[in-house]
Amino acid sequence: MASTIQNDLFDSLRLELRRGCLILAVLAQLRAEHYGYTLRKALADEGLAIEESTLYPLLRRLETQGLLTSEWREEEKRNKRFYRLSAEGDAILAQLLAEWNGINESLHKILKNEKDKKER
Amino acid sequence: MDLLERYLQAVGQYLPAKGKDDTLAELRANLLAEMENREEELGRSLNEAEVAAVLEHHGRPVMVAARYLPQHFLIGPGLFPLYWFTLLKSFPLLLLAYAVAQAANFIFGVGTSVGAAIGHLPYVAFIFWAVMTLGFAIFEYAQGKYFAELKWSKEWNPRDLPDVAQQKGPSFASRVADLIVSMLMILWLLSVPTHPYLVLGPGGSLRGLPFGLSPEWQIFYWQIIGLLALMLPLKIAALFRGATKWRRGLELATQAIGILILVVMVQARTYFAPSHPGEGMPNLANLASVNYSVNLGFKIALAVTVMKFLWDLWRTVVRTRAGQKGFVTVF
Repeated sequence: MASTIQNDLFDSLRLELRRGCLILAVLAQLRAEHYGYTLRKALADEGLAIEESTLYPLLRRLETQGLLTSEWREEEKRNKRFYRLSAEGDAILAQLLAEWNGINESLHKILKNEKDKKER
Repeated sequence: MDLLERYLQAVGQYLPAKGKDDTLAELRANLLAEMENREEELGRSLNEAEVAAVLEHHGRPVMVAARYLPQHFLIGPGLFPLYWFTLLKSFPLLLLAYAVAQAANFIFGVGTSVGAAIGHLPYVAFIFWAVMTLGFAIFEYAQGKYFAELKWSKEWNPRDLPDVAQQKGPSFASRVADLIVSMLMILWLLSVPTHPYLVLGPGGSLRGLPFGLSPEWQIFYWQIIGLLALMLPLKIAALFRGATKWRRGLELATQAIGILILVVMVQARTYFAPSHPGEGMPNLANLASVNYSVNLGFKIALAVTVMKFLWDLWRTVVRTRAGQKGFVTVF
């Protein structure tokens, strides 16, 4: 019972942690053009698996926010919707990456300090 | 591919007409690409079970469609703290207003029983909650559409904060005094049968007084004595129980006994009766009026005490959860 609660808590916190990171990853990956399925594969190949039912609506939302542009184009005899980072998305991505790097550095410092304390 | 079309149709049922075809076309292209990729891996066409597995993994149509829709809130995260705070702060005021209204009904003789008034309270509380929620939901819907969205100003002055509240429980001295008063009350009641003037006043010791204590005293007198005696060990235990949690429990139990005493008094109805019923009494109507007034007084006291008990009980539950301390009993 306690283990189930702990797992649920972990899942919930993990989801929260991943949410922002996934947006960052999607924006970064869309510096090159992709349609939904190939984007998901590309992210998975880089070790960042993401559910289809999460990714496809996310693409729509980011496009509505002006961070992505899209166009329908035929590829391999089938119409597909291709997404790419917009100019606004590019600027936001740069800001988010700076923020991400700052958080990452701080976290590493905190973890390093903890590790040093334990070793003393 | 019949299964895919059925799936897309099911998803489409939950999407708004605007943009539906576009969303479904994109979804179809992505799902087909995934299926083709799977076929390439297997080197053959997918059978129906494998198509079903892909769709099952993609998710229930209603859930998939929901993710394409904008998020809707009845009361959004920006407004919810204000809604919750308003509910918490105004609920005691509702209880007070209800108690005053019911007491007024009793006084003017249009009310029903105390039990019916208490039984009606959940309905009143539900209506109150529903109206408040509806009001905030309408505000949530309208803000940003018909007027500017409510935003908390970042500028505020910490010096405007109220002083730290004193949240101490009753002191040891006041608990001792409370115990002494309870003991004196029992002694006083025990003395009433031999010294009726303690209830009837100085005239009670005179022979030939036209009225006296009613025969119903014989029934409720010992019930009250028993309940008051039951309170004593609880009050003594509360003196020596240092732990706030225990003391709160004992104080609540004491309050509950106090309510039982008032219930007994309310049920009595006739407190004074003519001393010589056969001879008649010129002011019998006045005596009935006195009995009615005393009963009404006990009813009001019961209503107030029940409200106070529920309030203390609720605060105890909240504070026990929050790990805070302190409240004061009334009985």
